[in-house]
Amino acid sequence: PFFPLLISFCSSALGFLATLKLIPAFKEHFISARLSGVDLNKVIKREIPESQGVISGAVFLIILFCFIPVPFLSCFVEEQCKRFPHDEFVQLIGALLAICCMIFLGFADDVLNLRWRHKLLLPTMASLPLLMVYFTNFGNTTIVVPKPFRALLGLHLDLGILYYVYMGMLAVFCTNAINILAGINGIESGQALLISASIILFNLLELNGDYKDDHIFSLYFMIPFFFTTLGLFYHNWYPSSVFVGDTFCYFAGMTFAVVGILGHFSKTMLLFFIPQVLNFLYSLPQLFHVVPCPRHRLPRLDPATGKLGMSYSKFKSRDLSKLGELLLKVAAALRVVEVRRGLEEDGEFMECNNLTLINFVLKLIGPTHERTLTVIMLLIQVQ
Amino acid sequence: MWTVSPPFFPLLISFCSSALGFLATLKLIPAFKEHFISARLSGVDLNKVIKREIPESQGVISGAVFLIILFCFIPVPFLSCFVEEQCKRFPHDEFVQLIGALLAICCMIFLGFADDVLNLRWRHKLLLPTMASLPLLMVYFTNFGNTTIVVPKPFRALLGLHLDLGILYYVYMGMLAVFCTNAINILAGINGIESGQALLISASIILFNLLELNGDYKDDHIFSLYFMIPFFFTTLGLFYHNWYPSSVFVGDTFCYFAGMTFAVVGILGHFSKTMLLFFIPQVLNFLYSLPQLFHVVPCPRHRLPRLDPATGKLGMSYSKFKSRDLSKLGELLLKVAAALRVVEVRRGLEEDGEFMECNNLTLINFVLKLIGPTHERTLTVIMLLIQVLGSAVAFGIRYHLVRLFYDV
Repeated sequence: PFFPLLISFCSSALGFLATLKLIPAFKEHFISARLSGVDLNKVIKREIPESQGVISGAVFLIILFCFIPVPFLSCFVEEQCKRFPHDEFVQLIGALLAICCMIFLGFADDVLNLRWRHKLLLPTMASLPLLMVYFTNFGNTTIVVPKPFRALLGLHLDLGILYYVYMGMLAVFCTNAINILAGINGIESGQALLISASIILFNLLELNGDYKDDHIFSLYFMIPFFFTTLGLFYHNWYPSSVFVGDTFCYFAGMTFAVVGILGHFSKTMLLFFIPQVLNFLYSLPQLFHVVPCPRHRLPRLDPATGKLGMSYSKFKSRDLSKLGELLLKVAAALRVVEVRRGLEEDGEFMECNNLTLINFVLKLIGPTHERTLTVIMLLIQVQ
Repeated sequence: MWTVSPPFFPLLISFCSSALGFLATLKLIPAFKEHFISARLSGVDLNKVIKREIPESQGVISGAVFLIILFCFIPVPFLSCFVEEQCKRFPHDEFVQLIGALLAICCMIFLGFADDVLNLRWRHKLLLPTMASLPLLMVYFTNFGNTTIVVPKPFRALLGLHLDLGILYYVYMGMLAVFCTNAINILAGINGIESGQALLISASIILFNLLELNGDYKDDHIFSLYFMIPFFFTTLGLFYHNWYPSSVFVGDTFCYFAGMTFAVVGILGHFSKTMLLFFIPQVLNFLYSLPQLFHVVPCPRHRLPRLDPATGKLGMSYSKFKSRDLSKLGELLLKVAAALRVVEVRRGLEEDGEFMECNNLTLINFVLKLIGPTHERTLTVIMLLIQVLGSAVAFGIRYHLVRLFYDV
């Protein structure tokens, strides 16, 4: 059973080298296609290729396409299996279909700049094959109720169609959660790298348990993902010579959702997403426009000191809804948000810091150099 | 009891959802026009007097609608297993076929779109379909693993009744995807021809599948219909906007998408030879183009026919080069071709008489050579009629001449 894992490890190492070399090789193609951006937090503005997640994603797909027959080799060579395990094969192909579709739609989003409602639709569509495969392979929508609720709901609860809604939402959540904890060099690829490392560790620990096959399945995806993302991270680390693009966030989110769902450990996986969840909760008021939300919420560079400080959302005091007013009062009292009122000559404006985890960390530790800030954010991920 | 036979219920669902897909494609293409133009995924129609920016790569929209239709359709052929417990054992191998085929097509649409956006080089145009067909080969390997073919009658004395091609069979399958995608890609350049030819090929395949529904390999042909029906209707939506005068261009994305879909149904439906018969015009165009594809004769960037602004008609386009730049092989080829009257060659051009030119070696140019300058819309109609003729010949070969080669 460990022979396929060894093959996976070796091909993933090759994938790491391939990603490392391909990213610079295609730089010109991306810039001529105008898939590039400017680093807002650097003094010198250079055009940097975007959407490099498409390269690491393509390498990932190739590795896995070639890997497809490997877990089943024993069935062909030695006739060691009574009946070909079609259901496991289906799981593998179905998972790849969801991930491939997601990379495609993510790249289309990067190129065409689709609207926000599309960012919720696309992962849902890409997860359809996953749901169908789950339906035909397991069809199990019963969960074990956590102890505190057992008196109320019994030991098992059949969620029925809600289970599928949960799975669909998982993909949407993972992709967008990674996408909004962003803005400083290396944080998107870095956080994904750490989450996948955590999942790999978890899988390895569980290899001696009852659900060995589920965790081996997860490793087949996580190992190539880790190494291709490592190649991407090398170029994305401070100072970034490439940006990963929404493509990468979609790709990473869907891959995590896939292994969580088909490996049956989605709750554990969500635990590895704690920083993303915290960032999401903190961001809610701006995501729902209760508090005004500007186009970019990343920290701002102070050219004099070369350090990043919090970024603020500035708006007219009377434009703020009652709910927003209330929220900000409470948050300021709890010292989680910094609010300044009475700005500009007419005292009409107020501002609050943009509600991202990165800004919150800056609030606690003060202006910081970008590289240090990213390291701190990644350490939070490790914790 | 069912009001329609069980096997046809999924086909009915497929037909209805494909009709919806036609409407969706029809509406989505204009809706996203601005997005494509701002992304600079647009081109100029070289054969129009007024140059406007027209969105490119619209194949990505029809492809995405196709994928959504099929994603939702995945459980439908297997419904009887869940609802009525009518099957003893879940047919995982058929399910794998469906998912594997979708994976190859999805990957191809993705890589095709990446090619359109990033303008990858020619060698990539051969690599990409090969990579996208890997899942197909893997699925074939695990599901069938059968690499034996029935030898055509004339060769049986030499090779026997059956011949195991082994790994060559997989090479053939991989090449099929590469061939289909690029064959559609090079028979191009006039409004509506790419989507039009794909539409006609898919219609021919659908007809063939329907005819074979009473035969021994019913399941293979039903499987093929599951893909061809949505493909036909989404391409129809695309064709509506792409027809003369084009308001959108289909892009390489569409050629990749179409080619891979055809290769998929041909391989997994086990009728790849018949499918290639429907590609007769594409094959002829490919053979005629070979000298330019291999640069034996110089090949310019665009080989489409040229507009004569005075008459508003299209005429042949030419490849102009210095006489002494031509290799001996090219010299020989052109001499033979000119003698056979299949190529028009002019020598001694320019003041110094150093230059020569020949018409670009495409089927479209050849037709223009035969019938003279023509209006673009008429030319496209003629090309599509050639496609229909090719399909008619294909059916004739498949159902009549086939007896010369195989026992049926």
